[in-house]
Amino acid sequence: MSTVTLKKVCKVFGEGELAVHALRDVDLDIRAGDFVCLSGPSGSGKTTLLNMVGGLDRPTSGEISIADKRVDLMDKGELAEMRLRDIGFVFQAYNLIPVLTALENVEFVMQLQGIAPEQRHRQSREILEEVGLSGLEDRKPAELSGGQQQRVAVARALVSEPALILADEPTANLDSTTAENLMALLRHLNDDHKITFLVSTHDKLVMSHARRLLVLRDGKITDDIQQR
Amino acid sequence: MGIIFSLAWRNLWRNRRRTWLTAGAIAFSTLLLVAWVPIQFGTYDIMINASLRVFPGHAQIQRPGYQEKPEIRNAIDNAEQLAETLRGSNELYQGVAVRAQGFALLSSGSRSYGAQVVGVQPQFEGDTSSIPGLVKQGRFLSAVDAQEVVLGSALARNLKLKVRDEVTVLGGGKDGSVAAVILTVVGIFESGSNEFDHYFAEMPLHTFQDVFSMGRSAHAIAIVGKSLEYQSQLLAALKGAISGRDDVVVLGWDELLPGMKEAIQVDKTFGFIFYGILIAIVVFSILNTFLMSVLERTREFGLMLALGVRPQRIASLMVLESALLTLLGLVIGLVIGTALVYWAHVVGIHYPGVEELAEQFNLPDLSRIYPQMKLSNFLLGPVSIFIFTNIAAWIPILRVRKLEPIEAMRTI
Amino acid sequence: MIARSLPLLITLGWRNLWRHSKRTLVILFAITLGVWFMIISAGMMIGIIEQQLQDTIMNLTGHAQIHRPMFRDDPAIEHSMPPPSDALRKILNSDDVKQWSMRVRQPAVVMSERESRGVTLVGIDPAREKGLSFIGKPVVEGRGLESVDDSGIIIGRRMAEKLQTEVGKRIVIMSQDKDNEVADRGFRIVGLFQAELEATETAYVFTGLKTTQKLLGMGDDISEISLMTASREGLDPLVQRLRQAAPRLEAKSWKELEPLVVTAMALYENFMIFWYLIIFIAMAFGLTNTLLMAVFERTRELGLFQALGMRPRFIVGQVLIESFILLAIGVVIGNLAGVFTTNVIFADGIDLSAFSRGMEQFTMASTMYFTLRAKDILTINLLVIILGLVASLYPAVKAARFVPVEAITRT
Repeated sequence: MSTVTLKKVCKVFGEGELAVHALRDVDLDIRAGDFVCLSGPSGSGKTTLLNMVGGLDRPTSGEISIADKRVDLMDKGELAEMRLRDIGFVFQAYNLIPVLTALENVEFVMQLQGIAPEQRHRQSREILEEVGLSGLEDRKPAELSGGQQQRVAVARALVSEPALILADEPTANLDSTTAENLMALLRHLNDDHKITFLVSTHDKLVMSHARRLLVLRDGKITDDIQQR
Repeated sequence: MGIIFSLAWRNLWRNRRRTWLTAGAIAFSTLLLVAWVPIQFGTYDIMINASLRVFPGHAQIQRPGYQEKPEIRNAIDNAEQLAETLRGSNELYQGVAVRAQGFALLSSGSRSYGAQVVGVQPQFEGDTSSIPGLVKQGRFLSAVDAQEVVLGSALARNLKLKVRDEVTVLGGGKDGSVAAVILTVVGIFESGSNEFDHYFAEMPLHTFQDVFSMGRSAHAIAIVGKSLEYQSQLLAALKGAISGRDDVVVLGWDELLPGMKEAIQVDKTFGFIFYGILIAIVVFSILNTFLMSVLERTREFGLMLALGVRPQRIASLMVLESALLTLLGLVIGLVIGTALVYWAHVVGIHYPGVEELAEQFNLPDLSRIYPQMKLSNFLLGPVSIFIFTNIAAWIPILRVRKLEPIEAMRTI
Repeated sequence: MIARSLPLLITLGWRNLWRHSKRTLVILFAITLGVWFMIISAGMMIGIIEQQLQDTIMNLTGHAQIHRPMFRDDPAIEHSMPPPSDALRKILNSDDVKQWSMRVRQPAVVMSERESRGVTLVGIDPAREKGLSFIGKPVVEGRGLESVDDSGIIIGRRMAEKLQTEVGKRIVIMSQDKDNEVADRGFRIVGLFQAELEATETAYVFTGLKTTQKLLGMGDDISEISLMTASREGLDPLVQRLRQAAPRLEAKSWKELEPLVVTAMALYENFMIFWYLIIFIAMAFGLTNTLLMAVFERTRELGLFQALGMRPRFIVGQVLIESFILLAIGVVIGNLAGVFTTNVIFADGIDLSAFSRGMEQFTMASTMYFTLRAKDILTINLLVIILGLVASLYPAVKAARFVPVEAITRT
């Protein structure tokens, strides 16, 4: 069963002479449980592609399906709903809500989903333990290091058990040791929870952790490599 | 110099929404003050004029002590002569009229009422009082020695008298004797003022003097000047005119109606307090704008400092920006406010419900208010707003001078 | 659905406010100042009206009066009325009426050795006037009237000054009796009364009811009945019943007797709303601006909300709740400060005796009291909160309009 399917997806920014073709006729199939890396130089369209899949942006043309639902046909409300329940996000920076503690940040999505407090607390603490942050639950983001912040973001992305986690250059602001640890964690979670990961990066370290590597250049997928 | 101006100006427009909101707040309060103060002062003018023009006049000449204790014995000898010398001697005097007055009992066939009876000079009284012009039935007095009387409308009604009826006037004369006379009602006036319509009657001066055994003395000479603006010159001229005599004094309207002056004082004081509070609210309201805009640009300032711009320069740039911003608001407020006031000045302001109130306060003209167009009125509000908003703006600016470039640039 | 997320939104709102405490305190101060100002303005204006009302009522008007129909226009003897019938008495003595009294009123002339003045001669029943009118209060010199037969006279303190007379001296009262003849009599001044306004002190002289009736040859007839109700709301129905009990007489409440006060009240109340709006607008600029700037500062965070699946209307709700908390705090403190000012600091009113002559001009007492009604406080609070939320709509909607992509990828 395919989690993510793209058919002839195009994205054009601007008009006329200033038009930028960020994505050209992209076809893609990602299976459930896959750990996919999306690589390419800056401007290759990685972030755009990720945004499409995450329902943060619409394709100019083409079809996108996630778990057999046509994302490109959804309205704003449905997209929000999908992001809430089916997708987890880890951004490069500014992942956390500054006024909430680590625990509250993790619980955030579950609160929006309407899950009862006891269950929320329990699940959040478990996840935070799993990513190695027990003891830091009551700290605000300003009191956590870069790596710790990213872990909280991962915990949050994970806790509502989405079909898919999208990570946009998650290690860009981290030093190599922390980055290595983070990626190990992601692989580990992928093995344990069988959640599909789609990670965009231009860092070779990150790429080395992927099971499947997609290379993007000038809006087209030029290589599709199975690693490991 | 010019560069700094244009830089400051362009900086303002980097964030149009915020600039407009702040300027809007300043414009609003300016508008309020610019429009309100002239209206408020215009109201005072109306109140004063309305009260004075009915009877008291702008100034009066009386015997010392008469104002506090209006006894019939305290009269000015040869008052008409003095009045005659004043009349026409100075263009400041628009009206000069002699009056003698006292309390009397008026009786018709079936009723008796007490009233204030005033002996007036029919040919001159109209210059100082509006009562002759307010005769609604019949006519005003014809000659200074006629056996006539005019009554206030409510008084006539209470006495059940009409024009051409006779009324008996009974009082105490200057020498203590009984003063009595029967007069014909030739006119009934309606001043709109409760006090005058209920308790006032006017008769010719010489008739009064004869009936009340006053010889040729009288109690007051009323003077009306060109307008209230010339009050101080009027008083000076009058004081000069009587400087030889020690049996008379000059009283300005504020001594004739001390309550009026105080009432205006109270109102003005409250008005200032209210404006002050309103300005304070506006200033605090927009204080955040200034605070936050400085905060927002910390990185930018850090960069400028790193590039070698002196802190004082940055500070002066921002001082200029806030000055321009406040001026923007002020000018808009001034323009709209002035336009409103001018329109009101031409058209008059009609506030529903005021007419009835005006009656009670003896001010029949209050229903249409004409704002006072004096420059000082206009500028009072805006200048204070300018000062206070800029003081508020400078608080965050003072902090800028202590910025460290690198730290500043690190701010998100 | 939004109810379940309410705690989250409230937490976010509250913590967001205190992220930049100085800024929040500044706008909070503006709101508090505004609310405080509205409350004392209301207290002042209503205080003035209440004062006028009380003065009018105590100035012999009472809550209601009964006369012969022609009497008010022409207060002469021929328009006097008989003493109350049994039916009327029954109502007057019922629980709805707190106090009532009969009087005779007649225009007259008072003459001392030196001066004469026009006055209104009032014959009263001294025992009944307590609590009904100003003459029920103790005199400031000499003694008060003791019974309806009392043949002494009480005049105003300032009247005595003007007449150049004093307690113990004689004055002559001259008026018209039932047969249109002049009726005059000498009276000894037994006491001086005091009232707020000089006009009141010089307008009336008081003696016993029966004394006056005898002087004017009126027999048992009186000029008017004045009464006070037990409750303000019960006034109109009471007046109705009085009318039914005495169809040939005229029963009127103070609202009909002094329509000017009613008009003045209505005028003031309308003006007050207008004034509140002005103060509010002064505050609103800052409120909207501060919220707007805060929202723009949080673009990334708001984009994050959307990315995580928060619906736009929740974002609007979050900003509105933040604003509501701010307004609520401002309103509470402003209320406390306002009530404290009017009921504690100025519990004894503002002393304007330095301006007493000016206040007289406006028929106002020289102490200005504040009067706060629950109605006014409620109006102010509702106005500030509701309009405040309206003013916050623009920033709230703006917050929800951020496109997540642009928001998050902004540097």
